[in-house]
Amino acid sequence: MTESPSLVAYDLWKQYDNVAVVQGISFSLQPGEIIGLLGPNGAGKTTTVGMLFGNVIPTRGFVQFGPWQIPAQGSQARARMGIVTQDDNLDPDFTVFDNLTHFAHHYRITGQAARQRAGELLALVNLEDRATAQVDELSGGMKRRLVLARALLNNPQVVFLDEPTTGLDPDARQEFWRLVLHLKASGCGILLTTHYMDEAQRLCNRLLLLQQGKVIDEGTPTDLIARVIGREVAEVEGIAGELLKDLAAGYGAWYRPFGSGHLITLPDADPEVLWKQLESHHPQRLLRRQANLEDVFLRLTGSLLE
Amino acid sequence: MKLISATPWGVYSVWWRHFQVYRSTWLVNCLPPISEPIVYLLAFGYGLTPLVGEVSHLGQPVPYPQFLAPGMIAIGVLFQSFFEGAYSSFIRLNFQKTWQALLTAPLSYTDVFLGDWFWAATKGAIAGTLTGLVAVLANLYDFSSLVLSLPLIALGSLLFGAFGLLVAGVVNKVDQVNVPIFLVIIPMFTLTGTYFPRETLPPLLARFAGLLPLASLVDLLRWPLGLVPWWPLSLLWLLAWMVVMARLAAMWIYPRLFS
Repeated sequence: MTESPSLVAYDLWKQYDNVAVVQGISFSLQPGEIIGLLGPNGAGKTTTVGMLFGNVIPTRGFVQFGPWQIPAQGSQARARMGIVTQDDNLDPDFTVFDNLTHFAHHYRITGQAARQRAGELLALVNLEDRATAQVDELSGGMKRRLVLARALLNNPQVVFLDEPTTGLDPDARQEFWRLVLHLKASGCGILLTTHYMDEAQRLCNRLLLLQQGKVIDEGTPTDLIARVIGREVAEVEGIAGELLKDLAAGYGAWYRPFGSGHLITLPDADPEVLWKQLESHHPQRLLRRQANLEDVFLRLTGSLLE
Repeated sequence: MKLISATPWGVYSVWWRHFQVYRSTWLVNCLPPISEPIVYLLAFGYGLTPLVGEVSHLGQPVPYPQFLAPGMIAIGVLFQSFFEGAYSSFIRLNFQKTWQALLTAPLSYTDVFLGDWFWAATKGAIAGTLTGLVAVLANLYDFSSLVLSLPLIALGSLLFGAFGLLVAGVVNKVDQVNVPIFLVIIPMFTLTGTYFPRETLPPLLARFAGLLPLASLVDLLRWPLGLVPWWPLSLLWLLAWMVVMARLAAMWIYPRLFS
C-alpha cells in the first residue's frame, strides 16, 4: 500500500437558507485513527460527512485529502475513500455477490480480480454463504455489513461510517464493531458518526462533540470524561434539590436533575466523603458508578443525546 | 451547477451497470420493442391498408405500410428512451438511490448523468433498430436504409432520453410522470406524421405538430421514400432540442443529489 494520506477539514461551514447547520468545523484524521463525531440528531454530523466526501458543497472551507481538494476533486479523492452512508442504497437488481463485483467495476476492478475481491470481502463480513441471495433477503445487520464490504472494494485509506449501527440489534452491532476495529488495525483512518455513547467510547481514539453545528469540545473519550466530569458520579433519588445544591457547592461538585432524581459528581480527590453524606440522607435510590460520555454531554449541552 | 469533469471510464461504468440489469432479463426486455411494432404493423397494415390504400408523401403516392414503418421506428425510439429516462431514472434517483450510491464511488455527477442518459438512449436505439429489423423482414424498409438511419435513431434516442431525464428531475412523485405523457408524449406520437401525413390535419394543428421534435425525426427517417427539402433544418432542430433537454435535465437533477 502506498503511504496513506491524512484527511484535513479546514473551517467547514454549511448554510441552508441563512441557517448555519455546520459552523467552522476543522480537524484532521490520521491513518489508523478513529474519530467520532458525536451529537444528537440534527447536530450536523451527516452534513459534515457529506462535505468530507463531496456530496455536500461547503458554504465555506474545504477538505484536503492527500493531493486532492474536496469538493473540486471529489471523484479522484473517492477512489481512495470508502463511504457508508445512512441510506440503504444497495442494488436490489443484483445478488449479494454481484453488488460487489458490479460496484468494483466503477473502481476499474473487473473480471477475475473483481470476483476475487468480492469473495475476500464477503468472507471478511461473514456473508460468504449469502453470496447468491438477493439483497432483499438480507437482515438489517447483513445489509449494513454488505454496504461496508462495498465501501472496502478499493482498499480505501479513509472510511466514513455515518451512523452505521443505527437500528441494529446488539449482536449485529458487536459484529460491526469487530469489522471497524479490524479496519483500524489495517491502518485505515475512520470517521464515525454516532449517537451511541458506548459505540463512541469503545471505538474512537478521539471525539468531536457536536451541538447545533459546532464542535463544543474534543479529546479522547477518557480525557473528556476525566476533564469534564471526573471519575465517578452518583445517581440520587429522594433527596431534595436544595439539599443537593448545598452539598454540591460545599464539595465543588456539579449536579443537575436527571430522570426523576439528580446526578452529582463525586470529587476525584476524595469521593468517599460526599458519598457518605449522600448515604446518610437515606435516599430512595442511590447508585455510584463510573462517569461516562453521556454525563459529559449532559454537562456540556444541558441535554441528553437521545 | 459546478462543471465537474467526466471520464470515459466513469460514463461507461455507469452505462455498464444499467446494461447488466438489462442483460439479466434480456428476453423480457427485448419483447416489447419487437412485439409492439409487429402488432402495430399487423393491425394498421392489415387493418387500415384496405381502407387507406396509398397515402401521399411529398406529392408521391406511397403504399400505407411503407409510410407507416418509419413512423413505427420513431415511436419505438420515443417510447423506450423516454420511459427509461423518466420512470427508470426516477426510480434509481428516488427509490433505489442508485445515483447516490454511484456518487460514493470515484464517479462525478457528469459521469453518472451521462451514463444514465446514454443508457436511456441505448434503450431507444435498441427499440428503434429492432423495429427497423421487423420492417426490413416485412419488406417495408431496406436493410441498407436502416443501417444509414442508425445515426438518426441515435439522435432521436438521445433527445427523448434527455427529455425523460428532465421529467425525472422535475417531478416529485412517480405518478406525476403521467402529466408529460398525456400532455406531450401522446399528442406527439399521434399527431406528428407517424400514422398519417400531417397535411391531413387542419393547417394550424399541422404547423404545431410539425414543430414537435418527433415530426422532424419521422420526416428524416422517411428519407428512403423521399427527403423533405428542409431536412438540414430538421436535423438542426433535433440537435437543438437534444442540447436544451440535456442541459435542463442536468440542471434539475443536480440539486436533488447535491446540497
